[in-house]
Amino acid sequence: MASEGEISLLVVVVDVNPIWWGQHAQSEPEFTLSKCLDAVMVMGNAHMAMTRTNQLAVIAAHCQDSHFLYPSKRLKGNDDTSSSRDGKYELLSVTNNLIAEEIRDIMSKTELTGNSTDTLLAGSLAKALCYINRISKEVGVAQEIKSRILVIKAADDCALQYMNFMNVIFAAQKQNILIDACVLDSDSGLLQQACDITGGLYLKIPQKVALAQYLLWVFLPDSEQRSLLVLPPPAHVDYRAACFCHRTLIEIGYVCSVCLSIFCNFSPICTTCETAFKIQLPQMVKPKKKKPKLPA
Amino acid sequence: SYVAAMASLSEEVLLVVKKVRQKKQDGTLYLMAERIAWGPEGKDRFTVSHSYSDIRCQKISPDGKAKVQLQLVLHTGESTTFHFANESTSRKDWEAAKELLQQLLPKFKKKANKELEEKNKMLQEDPVLFQLYKDLVVSQVISAEEFWANRLGGINNGESAACENKQEVGISGAFLADIRPQTDGCNGLRYNLTADIIESIFRTYPAVKQKYKENVPHNLTEKEFWTRFFQSHYFHRDRISTGTQDIFSECARQDEKGLKSLVTQGVKNPMVDLLSLEDKTLDEGYGISSALPSTSHASRTVKESSNFAIIKRFNHHSAMVLAAAKQKEQMNSFINIFKLITVYLLRDVPADQASETSSTDGNSRDSDFFQPPLKKVKLQEAIEYEDLQQENRPKTVALNLKKSDRYAHGPVPLQSQQYTTSQDIINSVNYIKHEMSNYKPNLTQVLSSAAASSAIAALSPGGVLMQQVAQQAINQMVPTEIQAELKHLYVAAGELLRHFWTCFPVNTAFLEEKVTKMKSNLERFQITKLRPFQEKIQRQYLSTNLTGHLECMLQAAYSKFHIWQTRRMMRKT
Repeated sequence: MASEGEISLLVVVVDVNPIWWGQHAQSEPEFTLSKCLDAVMVMGNAHMAMTRTNQLAVIAAHCQDSHFLYPSKRLKGNDDTSSSRDGKYELLSVTNNLIAEEIRDIMSKTELTGNSTDTLLAGSLAKALCYINRISKEVGVAQEIKSRILVIKAADDCALQYMNFMNVIFAAQKQNILIDACVLDSDSGLLQQACDITGGLYLKIPQKVALAQYLLWVFLPDSEQRSLLVLPPPAHVDYRAACFCHRTLIEIGYVCSVCLSIFCNFSPICTTCETAFKIQLPQMVKPKKKKPKLPA
Repeated sequence: SYVAAMASLSEEVLLVVKKVRQKKQDGTLYLMAERIAWGPEGKDRFTVSHSYSDIRCQKISPDGKAKVQLQLVLHTGESTTFHFANESTSRKDWEAAKELLQQLLPKFKKKANKELEEKNKMLQEDPVLFQLYKDLVVSQVISAEEFWANRLGGINNGESAACENKQEVGISGAFLADIRPQTDGCNGLRYNLTADIIESIFRTYPAVKQKYKENVPHNLTEKEFWTRFFQSHYFHRDRISTGTQDIFSECARQDEKGLKSLVTQGVKNPMVDLLSLEDKTLDEGYGISSALPSTSHASRTVKESSNFAIIKRFNHHSAMVLAAAKQKEQMNSFINIFKLITVYLLRDVPADQASETSSTDGNSRDSDFFQPPLKKVKLQEAIEYEDLQQENRPKTVALNLKKSDRYAHGPVPLQSQQYTTSQDIINSVNYIKHEMSNYKPNLTQVLSSAAASSAIAALSPGGVLMQQVAQQAINQMVPTEIQAELKHLYVAAGELLRHFWTCFPVNTAFLEEKVTKMKSNLERFQITKLRPFQEKIQRQYLSTNLTGHLECMLQAAYSKFHIWQTRRMMRKT
């Protein structure tokens, strides 16, 4: 259990890419975005119910923008909607209602611009980090706060977000923020790296309909409690670099000593910094510029 | 072995003391140019012989004890005790021996043992190194010289210039308090004075040093001098100089003069304003009363004046301690000035002779000679910031990147992306919009029990997601002692292999010898260390192959050696 007075903040980043969800809802009607959000709500409620000091935030990662589902600006508004009819803990019913309102709002405002069909995941993660930073500062120096981010991922990785993603990962690592990943469809190399670097858990679930069970079993406990449980082991992460010319993952390649760009084939002039390499030919006729790059 | 033939007395004998007992045996003590030796009476060989460089220190029995003894403590911790048993001359002999040793020991001390001390320090500080030393040298896989060959930092390379610029140890401010007198049992006090304390006293109070030079050993013995010192009012807390025949009353007067001159000198740093540190107490009348506090001695109470005296002594003592540290600095700058003058005078002398005098010290002479006035320096320091100055970095070539966006791009995902038509996209979006417009959370129907139980089954040990757990526990299957031993083996093997591989390319005869020796060392290591370890883990039924990699590394070394050897043979034929 968390120590006395320690605040545990969980930020859930849900991938609500309408294109992916729309496509999959038609092929798998038993698991829709509604069901996914229900499962997230169950987990959020469980998290808040465990300790009074636990805090929750939910961000929806859309292909247009990233939006906070909870806490939202509507909090200040209407008080009549917050009364729960089934005797539930007030906070939980308020949260659920707010999330539902916000997601309805977002989805109704979805417009197709045609450019981007990829989820803005790096942006959502960055917003999550900013929120965590803000809460840490609001809470003050004397109060301990442990934060983690859970990413529920649906659509595929976007190669254009690579740099932003890596920046987010290293920022999270510096701040000791775990990034967990629950992947619904296809494996994501970026999230695998994120989980490995920050110390979180990466899991690709075999059955989407049982999402709530996986969330409660694997992702609800915080990092201290995880060491006491038997959880799925970390997967092998592919840390291979991609060559600059073809963007394919390589195990052994050539690195320019001036600009550190990676190539899969030797060329006498580096195409990035235009340095010419003088090849010394010793007794062996192999070019001396070879620097093997080994997988981590 | 301590046995040395007397015939090899080509050494100069400095002192011979007869009737010195060692281990309850009568004998003669010989102090020679480089060692001290003792031989039993009647025999003509030494049973005890220590060279001065082995001796850490000597200990003497206190005055007044019946037995006059001298103990030599060696660096190794052993000690030898000599008892001067000659009834009439024991004390004199003992004094003579003690004095001679006091002069000789410091000369020999510094030479060889710096090295030993450094080695010991390195072994103590780094437990991994210590373990490596035990594994390799103690079990005789490689010799100690080879082990220390690359590790000692330049002591053997004649870099003694670095040692000369060591920092001087300053004087502890509490050196007088550290003397800590012990009660003698019969109303007396015993003060233990060591050479360090005496030196501190001399450096801090040059007046006392002068008195010592004047009076010892003609008028007073050393012991008497110090006894009087501690008895004198000079030393005591409430120093009321009563102008007695005390030899130290003059010292008190000198101190007063010194203190007055320090006050008039003031502080040279213009940024420090000592006068603003006055005690501003609210006197009688809460500061409104017009009568100024009188500073004349007469109006002071007895308590006030004794407080005043103590504070004055504290200030004087601190000033003397600080001044003692500065003396050395000033000496250095004087020496540098003299050197500069000699260089100037030798300017017509051929270059190699002149450079001899100027290259011995590492300091730059110019800055000491042309010191700008202190005030200017302090003002400069206060108004200039180093980081805001122009940086004088060496010129560099700028990096010229043509396609820098390449760095920002990550790898292309391995699976080919699914192509969606724009119609598909529109359909999907409309569908989802429609679905979510009526979204209401239905938290009681989130999970069916069948789904839940299959998920739990997948997450339990043996389930679909937990397959790798059993395979990953190698560090839990091997006991920690075996792991620790394996680590030591790796460290030791790594060290040997490093020595081996640095021999290539084999250019010199020395390297040839070394590589052959290292190869035999590796083989010896394999036989004495690796094989027993392998047998041990076999006996414990550990099926994991823990030493495969080590064997692989050793094999690589052997095959390289073999190739080199065959090439050498071929070249010779």
